[in-house]
Amino acid sequence: MSLGKEQSNSPHRFWRMLARRDVLAGLLFIAVAALGLWLSRDYPIGTALRMGTGYVPRLLCWLLLGLGVIVLVQGLREAQDARPLSSGDISALRPVIFVTASLVIFGLSIERLGLVVSILLLIGVGAVAARGLRPLETLAAALVLIVLSWGIFILGLGLTIPVWPEW
Amino acid sequence: MELLHNLAVGFGVALTPANLFFALAGALIGTLIGVLPGIGPIATIAMLLPLTFHLEPTSGLIMLAGIFYGAQYGGSTTAILVNLPGETSSVVTCIDGHQMARQGRAGAALAVAALASFFAGCVSTTLIATFAPPLAKVGQSFGAPEYFSLMVLGLITAVVLAHGSVVKAIAMIVLGLLFGLVGTDGNTGGTRFTFGITELTDGIDVATLAIGIFGIGEIITNLTQPRETRSLAAQKITRLWPTREDFERAWPAVLRGTALGSILGVLPGGGATLSAFAAYAVEKRWSKNSSQFGHGAVEGVAGPESANNAGAQTSFIPMLTLGIPGNAVMALMIGALTIHGIQPGPQIMSERPGMFWGMIASMWIGNLMLVIINLPLIGMWVQLLKVPYRFLYLAILLFCGIGVYTVSNSPAAVLLAAFFGALGYVFTRLECEAAPLILGFVLGPLMEENLRRAMRISSGDPAIFLERPISLGLLIAALALCVLVALPAIRSKREEAFQE
Repeated sequence: MSLGKEQSNSPHRFWRMLARRDVLAGLLFIAVAALGLWLSRDYPIGTALRMGTGYVPRLLCWLLLGLGVIVLVQGLREAQDARPLSSGDISALRPVIFVTASLVIFGLSIERLGLVVSILLLIGVGAVAARGLRPLETLAAALVLIVLSWGIFILGLGLTIPVWPEW
Repeated sequence: MELLHNLAVGFGVALTPANLFFALAGALIGTLIGVLPGIGPIATIAMLLPLTFHLEPTSGLIMLAGIFYGAQYGGSTTAILVNLPGETSSVVTCIDGHQMARQGRAGAALAVAALASFFAGCVSTTLIATFAPPLAKVGQSFGAPEYFSLMVLGLITAVVLAHGSVVKAIAMIVLGLLFGLVGTDGNTGGTRFTFGITELTDGIDVATLAIGIFGIGEIITNLTQPRETRSLAAQKITRLWPTREDFERAWPAVLRGTALGSILGVLPGGGATLSAFAAYAVEKRWSKNSSQFGHGAVEGVAGPESANNAGAQTSFIPMLTLGIPGNAVMALMIGALTIHGIQPGPQIMSERPGMFWGMIASMWIGNLMLVIINLPLIGMWVQLLKVPYRFLYLAILLFCGIGVYTVSNSPAAVLLAAFFGALGYVFTRLECEAAPLILGFVLGPLMEENLRRAMRISSGDPAIFLERPISLGLLIAALALCVLVALPAIRSKREEAFQE
């Protein structure tokens, strides 16, 4: 593909080209389709009359692959810097990382450490995602939310979530 | 007379204390999130989906529906008072509604918005009650090939009416269809795309996917945007009742908006937002006072507000009668039904008349409640805007976490939702709409099932989709839509329409 040539000529231009929304979206679709095709390589396909496990998945993966290529080509054909991703991606990483991390920690801790501790952890990590939250504010918010979720989920709905750590 | 009998059944169900409570709860929550920018009905319904597992299916549906149309009322309040659309469907209400408020006529604008919404709500509820039974009859005569083609047409229409790139939207549908296949194949018992993770053998739960992509993805997107400064102009609302002239000018606009919204709502991909934008464009073009638009024309509030409410409600028609979701909210409703073991489709009306008619009756009751909630309590709702987003997102984040966990008491689901949250943010940055993905996800298993059945009927000959006249017609319509969108002339027109 011509992409390789671009890269050897001027890496900067190559990255500029890559950083377009449609180019990235196309690559994302192609990557998912390729992954799907690889994962389903051993699924029995069967026939149209007796479809196997792999019939529809593989059909959809090929379809997605084709659509991904169209999106990619559309992106590459756009004018040089028609719609580049805006800068400031580094600062955007902060919410992505901390919001995701807070949920992962919550999911890992809820059964062992109970509702109260895992809420404190979720709020503690999640609060880092936004700027301008003072520690005391965060603590107050956490306390209010603990009482609120205890009231709604344990008292109100009677869910069986452990409240305190299991020793 | 059958209609009256059905409505009597419906009101009997909707007027029980428990269902009245859930209609009120839905209307209140809907108004709340409608007022608050940064959280929309899709994310809220996704978050509350796990809660409805513990309710009666009818009560759960009544509450979720209340959230959806309640958000249309709430969104207009902030649009008018602080020029801040609480929902995308009230973006156009800002234009003239806020101008009216600046001229000291905030009360009149709010009253027109609420009354226009109420009128549209009444009309569209009647429309659902009238047109749902015959449509369900049509649906019942459909076989597997017709259903498959209908779903194809529904998905394509949803994509064409949505804004943005059509190819990307179709790719998102296919991605959603693939996500829907994760888990155990019901027909052969083989597992697909589970990565060897035990929790994935049951498939991805619709609540997990929706909370991740819409709830958590929205939080991340909001946090990456520069902090907005909300200036709350503390306006005293002196006079709530519109003048006689307001009424005279608003009436025809309300009628036009209701009609337009009712039609656009039924189409897949239509619904509240498209209806509101279309109604504003119509009013601006046809009004005698078109020069006043943008400077506080009452028609510019009445038209879109009636249209978004009508559109929100009539979008229930295809979901309730055919089991085909037209937008992401309806896809979540179908998710709520399937979790209770109810297969959405034309048989719902005959098998569960109490649920069907109860929900329709509750829509009317809910609309009445909303007028009462909105007009006198408007001051209270505006106070809520003072809660800064940095507190709000913590609460949303927590409820997302607990909500996902309670779906099946599974920590793995929380991790999965975190993954989908990050993915949702990536989609937003790449301008890939997430709504088609949810539609594909919900329809995926249904489409595969109907495809298999059709193939069994025809002994493996795909020509069956072209031999059956109804199926052929539906597929031709889908193809025609694709071709239409690809034509350059229409393409530019379409972009123009979404620019407005």
